[in-house]
Amino acid sequence: MTQAADNAHPGAPVAANVNPSRRNLFIVVIVAALAFPLLQVAVGGLNYYLHMALFLFMNIAIASSWNIIGGYAGYISLGHNVFFAIGGYAAAILFAYFGVSPFIAFPLCGLVSMAAGFLIGAITLRARGPTFIISTIALVLLAKILLDNWPYIGGTNGISLPLLDLPVEYVKFPFYYAMLALAIAAVALSYAIRRSKFGLGLRAISQDETKAEIAGIPTRFYKILAFALSGLFIGMAGALWGYYLTYLSPVIFLSILVGAKFVLMTILGGRGTVSGPVVGAIVFILANEFFVSQFGASELNIAATGLALVVVLMFFPEGIVGTLKKKGRLPKLLDWD
Amino acid sequence: MAHIEINNVVAGYGSGPDILTGITLKIEPDRSYCIIGPNGAGKSTLLKVICGLLQPRSGNVVFNGTNMTGLRPDEVLQRGICFVPQDRSLFPDMTVRENLRMGGYILKDRAEVDRRIESVLGMFPVLAERLGQPAKTLSGGQQQQLLIGRALVLRPKVIMLDEPTLGLAPKISKQIFDSMNQLKAAGISIIVVEQNARLGLKFADWGCVLDLGRMVFEGPSGTVLSDRRIEELYLGRLRKEVAA
Amino acid sequence: MVQNIQIMILGLALGGVYALMASGLTLIFGVMGIVNLAHAAFMMAAAFMAFFIFRDLGIDPIVSIVITMPAMFALGVIVYKLVFARSFADPAKRSVMVLMTFAMALVIEGTLGFFFSNIYRSTTPSYASEAIIAGPFFLPSAQLYAMGLSIVILGALWAMLKFSRTGYAIRATMHNRTAAEVVGVNVDRISMLVFGIGMALAGASGSVLSFVFSFYPGKHWEFVAILLSLVVLGGMGSLLGALIGALSLSVVAAFVSANYGPTWSPVTFYLALFVILMVRPQGLLGKKMEL
Repeated sequence: MTQAADNAHPGAPVAANVNPSRRNLFIVVIVAALAFPLLQVAVGGLNYYLHMALFLFMNIAIASSWNIIGGYAGYISLGHNVFFAIGGYAAAILFAYFGVSPFIAFPLCGLVSMAAGFLIGAITLRARGPTFIISTIALVLLAKILLDNWPYIGGTNGISLPLLDLPVEYVKFPFYYAMLALAIAAVALSYAIRRSKFGLGLRAISQDETKAEIAGIPTRFYKILAFALSGLFIGMAGALWGYYLTYLSPVIFLSILVGAKFVLMTILGGRGTVSGPVVGAIVFILANEFFVSQFGASELNIAATGLALVVVLMFFPEGIVGTLKKKGRLPKLLDWD
Repeated sequence: MAHIEINNVVAGYGSGPDILTGITLKIEPDRSYCIIGPNGAGKSTLLKVICGLLQPRSGNVVFNGTNMTGLRPDEVLQRGICFVPQDRSLFPDMTVRENLRMGGYILKDRAEVDRRIESVLGMFPVLAERLGQPAKTLSGGQQQQLLIGRALVLRPKVIMLDEPTLGLAPKISKQIFDSMNQLKAAGISIIVVEQNARLGLKFADWGCVLDLGRMVFEGPSGTVLSDRRIEELYLGRLRKEVAA
Repeated sequence: MVQNIQIMILGLALGGVYALMASGLTLIFGVMGIVNLAHAAFMMAAAFMAFFIFRDLGIDPIVSIVITMPAMFALGVIVYKLVFARSFADPAKRSVMVLMTFAMALVIEGTLGFFFSNIYRSTTPSYASEAIIAGPFFLPSAQLYAMGLSIVILGALWAMLKFSRTGYAIRATMHNRTAAEVVGVNVDRISMLVFGIGMALAGASGSVLSFVFSFYPGKHWEFVAILLSLVVLGGMGSLLGALIGALSLSVVAAFVSANYGPTWSPVTFYLALFVILMVRPQGLLGKKMEL
């Protein structure tokens, strides 16, 4: 079978365009991921790795989602963790006050985030370029003040959730599978958008929005839709993550550093591509983990995140996947566009 | 007087393709030039290379025996070549007087600049009436005069104009070319890029036809104007106008 | 009534300080087309500089601008050369440049936090706890001196731009970069100079904020959002717009703070930003360039 062309016509069945060895790789990886917790059952003591894995899956979902607005549409959002917080707090409210488990509620929380995305996007996407970026910072700061001062959800003290009632060897399992599902779904969404007319329109917007408008692309609608879609899985992730931590507070979800990491991951991997965010999430999580184990999660972490971003932007702004692709040396394995 | 050599220049923007693909041209002193050609041929790009706004990727530009390739625009200005770009490159919120002052920016002596502005105003009385007005309030023709006046403050040896009559009514275009004739009479070499080929070739002594980044044909403007081949390819509408 | 006038005066005083802070930001945008998200982080660095100058050398923070401004100017020139010199002319790279400033802000915040930790600090010259009593009005000296200093510096900036040869070159570059090049302005050097001036203004702002606010490394995001809100309101690239935006929003924020508590003061600016985006995204006096 031949490698899928970059703009294969939109209606083509997806499977027909996937290189067979790549498809096999996906299957292997997914089966392995599904099976991994069984190792915990058999051998035990793997809680740290389960944690890292589910954290990785979550970040794959987050990066792939950010990519929709930041990569495909080219609108850089520095406050995207607002959706993380909306989802997280929606789940916390439903759980703490109405007894609905986040495992049931999380899709709804994602939809709430998405709805918020429509509303917010309708306002902020009236601006372009730098002004939009500014509005995303203002957004997250505003959200933090609002949540800090909302006693219903505990304000700055935050809100505690009860622990999931499972033995400690298995307690991470539901989170693991939920995050895995999110990761797969987010990447699938990213892939579907990339191959669709919508995705083509977004790319046109990111290249030259005025020309895209003139060409008849409904730019305002597409932008807002992209922004809202990008909040969907991030909201779901937030819902699950709050439960996983059993504690939410505005500073955990709404500090600028969190949003900065979303951006760094995606750009590091290669924004605007399907595989880029995945690669970026993996590299970032490993690097971050190494860093934290050596230097602790202190201010130095902030400086290092910034420095990493500077280095990536200066030397390979297209990210790992993007730069390899530009030089024609991207392994077929990683070319999912 | 001016003698500019452009030797096999290749140039383009950013990391984009070559717009000029190896162009060679000699600008003789005592001659005025009109450069014509289809869109994208590289006419504006050529002027930008000469005045230092764009660095060539290969080839060189020589002026009066001195190699000018790689010089900055202000250094080219010092040597006496002024460029008036397309799109009314005024400072819109600055007054007419301030715009003229900016023309003399590289001269450090303010009094000298003011003296020169006076003589420019003598040539363009319309500007004298509007010294305190913001440049954006001037009409198209007046703005073009301001641009030429601004270039004159430096008493250049060569003035290059990129489509000076763009967007101007025929009567105003004629006025602009009248001004340019005055410059010619004053001994300044003029290189003009013109879409209005008829007006441009009527004004200039020599015509150059550019296409796809290189010189296709050059000669006395009368010859260029009446050459069948050129007429068909680039002045297509001219034939229809004449026939009608 | 007296209460309201007092609030308004304090709002204006704070507005003057914000105008000083925003001036560097909008100047850099006007000439380079880049929103410097690290502006407030640089201000924080300058504030720490002023803090240590005060604590260890006993130099008054207002006097310290003699040190902070040149130091920040030099830093600005270095940062420009390292980071911006080649890339910003290409409009396509502008988003990347803005991200770069974001990253720089993180680096500065992290470094400051690592060395100086996240505790609240402020310089405490004598006037920081004094007030001037003029008739029925009780006016904290710190705000007044800060406003006075801001007026002086902004006045000097305005005079430089309006009357000096360099000021002409800067304004020309802001209006029309190509036209400026064509009359012989060295636009690269001007951009570098303006970035340095912007940073120097951040330096002065840092000295001022050290005695007007209590600060810690992470606070710069709050400042940045406030400054950007008022710059967007006034119009990016317009110094006058920044002044108008600063004064008007600060007065409103002062009333909000007096009536609802100081926590909500920043919210005024953020909400104003969103309102402007809905109603008139280019701001009051903004340049027509791409937002």
